[in-house]
Amino acid sequence: MNIFHRNPSKARRLALAAAVAGSLMMPAAVMAATLNVMQSEAPRSMDPGDQTATFTAALLDPMYEGLIKRDPDLSLKPALATEWSSDPSGLVWTFKLREGVKFHDGTPFNADAVVKNFNRHLDTKRGLAASGRLRTFLESVIAVDPMTVEFKLKTQYPAFLALLSTGPCLMVSPAAEAAGTIGSQAVGTGPYKLAEYKSGEYVLQVKNTDWWGGAPKGEDEIKWTWTAEPSVMNMALQSGEVDVVNPFPSAFAAQAGANPEMKLSKTDGSAVFWVSLNTKMKPLDDVRVRQALNYATDREGIVKAFTQGFATPANSPLAPVTPGYDKSLAPYSNDVEKAKTLLAEAGYPDGFEMSTIVQEQEARIGELLQAMWAKVGVKLDVRRMESGVWSKAAFQDPAGKEADGTASAIASWSSGVNGADLQFRPLYYSASASPTGANLGFFSDEKLDGLIDKAASTLDETARNAIYVEAQKLVNEEAPHVLLFTKQDLYAASANVSGAWVIPGGLIVVKDATKE
Amino acid sequence: MKAYIAKKLLALPLILIGVSLIVFVAIRALPGDPARLMAGPEATQEAVDAMTGRLGLDRSLPEQYASFAHGAIRGDLGISIKSKLPVVDEIAERLPFTIGLAITAYILAIGIGVPAGMIAAIHRHGWPDQAVMILASAGASVANFWLALMAMNTFSVKLGWLPLLGASSWKSFILPSITLAVLPMAVIARMTRSSMIEVMSQDYIRTAYAKGVAPRSIYWSHALRNALIPIITIVGLNFGSLIGGAVVTESVFNWPGIGRLLVDAVRYRDYPVIQGVTLVAVTGVVMMNFLAEMLIALLNPKIRLD
Repeated sequence: MNIFHRNPSKARRLALAAAVAGSLMMPAAVMAATLNVMQSEAPRSMDPGDQTATFTAALLDPMYEGLIKRDPDLSLKPALATEWSSDPSGLVWTFKLREGVKFHDGTPFNADAVVKNFNRHLDTKRGLAASGRLRTFLESVIAVDPMTVEFKLKTQYPAFLALLSTGPCLMVSPAAEAAGTIGSQAVGTGPYKLAEYKSGEYVLQVKNTDWWGGAPKGEDEIKWTWTAEPSVMNMALQSGEVDVVNPFPSAFAAQAGANPEMKLSKTDGSAVFWVSLNTKMKPLDDVRVRQALNYATDREGIVKAFTQGFATPANSPLAPVTPGYDKSLAPYSNDVEKAKTLLAEAGYPDGFEMSTIVQEQEARIGELLQAMWAKVGVKLDVRRMESGVWSKAAFQDPAGKEADGTASAIASWSSGVNGADLQFRPLYYSASASPTGANLGFFSDEKLDGLIDKAASTLDETARNAIYVEAQKLVNEEAPHVLLFTKQDLYAASANVSGAWVIPGGLIVVKDATKE
Repeated sequence: MKAYIAKKLLALPLILIGVSLIVFVAIRALPGDPARLMAGPEATQEAVDAMTGRLGLDRSLPEQYASFAHGAIRGDLGISIKSKLPVVDEIAERLPFTIGLAITAYILAIGIGVPAGMIAAIHRHGWPDQAVMILASAGASVANFWLALMAMNTFSVKLGWLPLLGASSWKSFILPSITLAVLPMAVIARMTRSSMIEVMSQDYIRTAYAKGVAPRSIYWSHALRNALIPIITIVGLNFGSLIGGAVVTESVFNWPGIGRLLVDAVRYRDYPVIQGVTLVAVTGVVMMNFLAEMLIALLNPKIRLD
């Protein structure tokens, strides 16, 4: 009896040993064809419509496509739609869809799929993370014929086409959506498909050989990992365990730039950093005080100390990459005397005390401002907070902020290439005052509201951008924010990687990247 | 003895209910709203409300706890807000990695800490004693976060001997388990030393010497057995801090265990995951304490008879 038992168990042990040995050797064998990408945070969903995070969007990008895509030159190009047009009002848009496209699960892509994709965002009960922006302007989407769809907008929306290339408008398989599995099992139409999602470890993507665009240009596999630790990111690239690190921590950027085995890429970003001033609170309700704080701020100094120089000092509420941005504006130099004069005119010759709330990772900005503003007699109480706590405090209503004594908040906003409306409306429009929107200082100016609305309904781009220049001047003059800088997008890669590029704001595109 | 075990086992569900209640209330008392974090800073209030409804956070707290407890009893800990995967699957996938790391670390800590403490005790005030005590003090006070980064830079980046991140082969275990073992190793070495010194001054040891027992036999069978009781107590009680250390170590090494899962979950206020991981970790700690008590009872009849 013992004999019968022993042999199979020995065989099983041998088989197990072989399997273990095989699994240990496997990675070495496929290493050459895998592009390893490391980012700073874990993906928040496998459903592009249920997340609003840049690095999640970057991870999902190889697997999903929208009706429109953004090209490396940042222009908008046809993707799952081949052509489109609008009626003269700009409220009705018709899209012709690409023939012969299939989702990774075999579901055909057609007008019905597009309608289902947008209806899930219009359904208030579905509660997807990225629905909010679409719902503000989208009325309905209907199928005109099996390969044509029509969008009806509630209001003109200049960022409409750009938005079609982003998260909520990327097409997910209607079958996977109906099955309720899309959040953990990505099913799109892109050149890569999901092979494995280990939420604690990695996301593995493999080439989609049935892709409508032909053979995908990138490596056979893309493997995504993540860590929150900047020094670990640096070491992972140095040791060769990863090929691309995005975003690359600025503290190690000079070191990586000097290393011949690495490539450091820096491009204009879209995250504008600012201090939102509580315009409902004394003495910040006085525009002269707000201007004084702007004069008291040494933007170059902050850029050097906080970003190791990898940022552009802000001269406008818009990022340099945003359409309509005016490079020629130069509102505030670092002028301590001018700041003191303005404070004296406002009745505060000896300065005053105020507070600011800041998240841990940006606390250094608060400390720098504390030292700069002290020179004009403003005593800044810097309140450091964990991000969840900060978010709660920052989105309080005026009464809540009065009770907490929150006079200002340090934060950033990134809308980048998708249009100025997405920067102006949430941050400065009076109806966006928190808690409804991100107008954290309750700024309210009828003239600015008028300009934002007028620009939104102006279809001609040149005319629209002229209005945005007016709006930039007005925001600079009224100074609801102390505008600080626009961060550059940094990523680093091994020297043998080519073909990766970044959409301003940090969304890295690696689906065409190759290793030599 | 049976009654003793039964009493301890009966206390377990009560402890779990108590801890789950505390965790449930504590994480909801934390400022920060998972719905807002999920929906992003650009979300309108309407979008945040929709998300709140979807996550079931619009229900009253007792209702939420009842549904959590009802699920937990049936082995269902809910769905992760962030990954959209069942919490039970998330934990099941990662628990073996944390247990593997903890066991390796404990083997190292006991395997090196106990002999080191014994050597120190035997050579009391001699140079081996001082060397062990200096190392133990250093080990007990060094931040394992810093230690981890130094070890990674040396052995993975500079020398290229060991993998930097993840858990891809047996080699991946080396750096994280050593990092995690340092603190308990130091504590165990100090505990062993003082416990051995105390036992060595007892009458029965002198008797053993007097009747001509070999010193090695005295150390290992006479003294250590009695010195072990406080050591086991420390090992058992320190399991909780080992789990605490695993949170840091796993995060630095990208180790796919429950410690890293917990850190990510707190960042996104992923309530179901925080609750699930805490419940599992507390069960582990309680079981370890229980095991330590059982071992002590086995070693010391006096405790058994009480």
